[in-house]
Order: sequence, then structure tokens, then C-alpha cells
Amino acid sequence: MSNNKLEDLQRRKEKIILGGGQKRIEKQHASGKLTARERLNLLFDEGTFVELDAFVKHRCTNFSMEKEEAPGEGVVTGYGMVDGRLVYAYAQDFTVIGGSLGEMHAAKICKVQENAMKVGAPIVGLNDSGGARIQEAVDALSGYGKIFYRNTIASGVIPQISAIMGPCAGGAVYSPGITDFIYMVDQTSKMFITGPQVIKTVTGEEVSAEDLGGAKTHNTISGVAHFVASDDEDCILQIRKLLSFLPSNNIETAPVYETEDDVNRIIPELDELLPDNPNKPYDMFDVISKVVDDGDYYEVHSQFAKNIITCFARMNGSTVGIIANQPKFLAGCLDINASDKSARFIRFCDAFNIPLLNIVDVPGFLPGTKQEYGGIIRHGAKLLYAYSEATVPKVTLITRKAYGGSYIAMCNKELGADMVFAWPSAEIAVMGPEGAANIIFKNDIKNAQDPVEERTKKIQEYKDEFATPYKAAERGYVDDVIEPNSTRPRLVDALNMLMSKRENRPAKKHGNIPL
Amino acid sequence: MKKFNITVNGNSYEVEVEEIKGGSSTPIQRPIQQPTQQRVSPPKVPTKVTPKAETVSAPKEVPAGANTVTAPMPGTILDLKVKQGDVVAKGQVLLILEAMKMENEIMSPSEGKIVSINTTKGASVNAGDVLVVVG
Repeated sequence: MSNNKLEDLQRRKEKIILGGGQKRIEKQHASGKLTARERLNLLFDEGTFVELDAFVKHRCTNFSMEKEEAPGEGVVTGYGMVDGRLVYAYAQDFTVIGGSLGEMHAAKICKVQENAMKVGAPIVGLNDSGGARIQEAVDALSGYGKIFYRNTIASGVIPQISAIMGPCAGGAVYSPGITDFIYMVDQTSKMFITGPQVIKTVTGEEVSAEDLGGAKTHNTISGVAHFVASDDEDCILQIRKLLSFLPSNNIETAPVYETEDDVNRIIPELDELLPDNPNKPYDMFDVISKVVDDGDYYEVHSQFAKNIITCFARMNGSTVGIIANQPKFLAGCLDINASDKSARFIRFCDAFNIPLLNIVDVPGFLPGTKQEYGGIIRHGAKLLYAYSEATVPKVTLITRKAYGGSYIAMCNKELGADMVFAWPSAEIAVMGPEGAANIIFKNDIKNAQDPVEERTKKIQEYKDEFATPYKAAERGYVDDVIEPNSTRPRLVDALNMLMSKRENRPAKKHGNIPL
Repeated sequence: MKKFNITVNGNSYEVEVEEIKGGSSTPIQRPIQQPTQQRVSPPKVPTKVTPKAETVSAPKEVPAGANTVTAPMPGTILDLKVKQGDVVAKGQVLLILEAMKMENEIMSPSEGKIVSINTTKGASVNAGDVLVVVG
């Protein structure tokens, strides 16, 4: 081959690699962002990234677009290795026409989506785009539609992770919205359906872009985002960490990491962890961090609905999904947001063969008109549905309170928990002692000489008799009452025993989860 | 001139309607709307009840830049740990709210001075009620 042709190839590639040019790259850096290629290089193990479709060009001729060059079509796509495992990715290039999405830009994304599904590898989307390329008109919309459709088809087949690392507005938000996890980089990322300008015109509300759709807003208030990152590098490293907990697809199981942490480790501190007064809060993370391998867990939705904890961790080297009530926030009660948050997490784990570990200390569902009008029945039902539907191993540990409907909702025996453990401090009952005594001993209290004293006596009677794990254990609703110090060996053993679990359900197209 | 019988909330009203030819539509509507509206709203009809939380949560005086600490759940104030004028740190426990079988520690969202305490020990509060203002 003549040198000319090789040089030509070299020249073409160099131009594409430079994206929107040095000036725009500098601007990208000045705004605290990395370029699309820098991000992908961070994501993949060194030297493993293979680019696809670098030569793709748009074919728009509206508004003199034929003169507009868009190296790489504003998105870099391909595959590579993350900790030695195949992962697909695309990264929108803000330096090329603002990373705007047109027909061919979308076609590049669709191709990696399809490839990822074909080979069963996770896909990571790094979003940094001004939105639809207006000049391409309905072709741009068609592009979005194709991406959303593939997102949906891939849901539950391969893990889909989105990172918002710049603007992501209008229809564009729905691709991340459909995926399993959303990362947002603090300060540089924005996500909204309609921006501050439109909102001001329509409703008169004045709100900054950051307050409307910044990382903090979506991680704390809306719950749209699952993770917040301090900068681009932190974001990519966190994605790598998340991937380490996940299998590549819905047929495989998550990779097993060897651990030095003894599975038979006795934890004496757990015997002392609960406060003497059952009405005093404690930090559920103290239980989680002591029980899991090396105290290492990765929290999902750490800033949203803090009354329930959802996190990935490992037990004996294998991934588990932990759902735990947090007595430190809102008494650990279940409300609308906590139900949504945990139900979605449970369904992810079930779709990807990740066993569930439920740690229960729940006083009940949060009362109030706000909750009832907000549809706590509809939302709470998701939690019950998700647990019942899940066929992965389900292990439940009740540390303290487990009252009424919330006891069921946290995956009791009847929702299909394969093993239910309780600490001796567990209070498994239909309702709290105060309320129950008022109803059951109504007449005794009314007719007593000293009703106040009688009531206290009856509450204590009820507490001793019913606010224990033993009534439930008598019926087999609890498989065993265990010493807190032996929690780790017992949980590891149960998960190990359940590894070969198979559960068949009636064939159906799909269930109808209350959304 | 046309006469109509209109029944509103069980009360029947006799309404006269005059059609003005060539005029704009507004003068036609006015005479109909005004009398019916006046008569329809009898003084004893209960006004729409505004949500309790809203009225309570409107603090009397909140200086600019102050943070209001509201009740996250309905419950009872078990203990007040600070008094007006105290200087508090971020995360310091301001009061104990007993709710959902739990003695919940309500903490200061910021450092500052206690501008006002809008509740008392033993009081029942609703979600959203302002408990303390930290300035």
C-alpha cells in the first residue's frame, strides 16, 4: 500500500481524535470537565478501549449543515475492559456542536446498545450534550426514540449505567431515566425536562439551573440520581466500583472476590450495639459495616430517603444487595420515597441474580395526609410486590422493631424470605405495646381503681409476652433467634446454603407492578 | 326580556335576561353573573379549610437567612435541649421528638443562634410544623 493512503488514514484519525478542536477542549477543561476521550480512558483499563464508528458523519443539509463538520458526530463509542471484564460505553463530546444529538449520533449510540445486549456486557453512557440538534428536526427526535426503546429492551438484560457530566435537558433525560443507575457530577451536571427560562415564562417561578436540576437536587429531593460525584474522575472511579459488584448480564452471577475476612468472624460489639431503651435510635450502618466483608459497602441513593438504606456489599466474596431500615432517620419508618427507593433496588438485584439481605428495624408506615394523598398505598405496594416477585435468595434479619404491615413489607417469611433470623431484641408484633394494650385491655384499664397504673402494667405485660421474637418463632415465621455476635457466620451460611435456590413462577408476559 | 328559573344548591332563583342586539357580549354576561354570584354564596357556606400544616408552618418572624427547623413527622415534643439565644453548632441536637415509637433527635441544620422556639415540651406537632428557628 502506498504511504499516501496510510498517511491519509493517520490524518483522518488525528482530526477525529481532536474532536471540536484544541480551543474547545481547553474550554471544556476550564469548565472543570474532562473530554469524552479522557473520560473513556479513565473508565477502561489502560489500552483496552476499542473505538467504533469514528468515521461516521451526519447527513443533514438543512440550514447549511452540510458545511458543518462534526468529527466523530459528537459522540465517542466503543468497548473495553473494566477490571478485566468487557464493558460497552459511549461518551458524548461537548466540544463537537455541543454534543448535540442528531440522526447519526444516535445511530452510533444505538449500535453499542445493540452490541452490548448481543454479547451480554454492561453499558455505560456518559452524557454531556446540549440536547437535540435542532437542524436535524424530526430525525433528532427519531434518534432519541430509538435510544429510549433500546434502553427499555436492554433493561433487566444488561446493567445500564448513566453518568450526567454536563447538560442533559429535555427529552435527553429519559435515556438515563430508564437506565438502572444515574451518576451526577456536582456543579457541572444539570438535568431537567424544562429549563429555568421556560419555567419562568410558564409558571413565573424563578429558579437557578443548579437548584432546579443540579446534582444535589436530584440526589436529595427528586431521587432521580443515585450517586453524586465530586468531579469527573471521582464519577468514573465510582462507576468502576459499582461495576465490580454487578454481573455482566442477567444470566451470569456477579464476580466473586477473594476475601481475607473470616466468614466465622464473631462480632462481640453487636451484642452491645442496641440501646437499652428500644425507643432510642442507633446507626444501622454500624450493623452493616461490621457484618459485611472488610466493612466495605457501596451505598445507592445515599442522600435520598435516608430512612431506608440500600447498598451493595459482599459476603464471603459474593455480592449481596442490602436493604435496611435506618432508625436514625424518621425512626426508620417506611414512606413514599423509601418504598420507591427500595423497590427499585430490589428489582435490580432480582433481575441480576444478586441475593437480598434485609435488615429490619421498622416501626411502621409514616402516618399523615401528605403520605396518604401522595399515594403511600400505591408506593408501599411496590415494596411488597418487588419482594414477592424476587426469586433470588432472600435473607431477613430482624434486629429490633418489626410491626404490623411494615413487618410484612420488609420481606417476612410470607413474602418469600428463605431464611428469617431475629436477634433476641426483636419485637415482632401486630402493633406497638401502647396501642395494643389500649385496645386489648380497654375494659380492664377502664374498670381499674388506678387506670394509669393498670395501663402501665398491661403495657408491660404485652411487651413481655408479645413484643419478642418468640411468638413469631413459635409459628415458624422466624427460622431462628440468634446471638447478635454470630450474625456474620449465620448470614454467610444462609446465603451459601441458598446459592442453588430455584423458584418457578407461572408463565406470564409480565406482572403489573403498581407504578 | 326572557325569564329563567335557576336552581342553585336547592335554592331557586328567578333571573331575567335581556338580549341587547348589536352590543358586545360583555353586557349580556354581566347581569347574569353578578346577581347569581351574589345570591349563590350564602354567608353560612363554610369556607374551604386550608391544610392545617400550612397555617401552622407560617412562622411569625423569620429573619432573612434564618433556617427553620420543621417536624419531619407527627409526634410529641419529649424534650427541648436548647433555649432562645443559645448558640448552636451544625448537627447539634435541638430537641427530641417522640414519633413512630422512637425518640428522634432533631438536629440543627446550620450553626447559629436560636432565634425562636415555636413549640413547648409535651406539645403535639404535625409534620411540617416549625419547631425552632436558627438564625
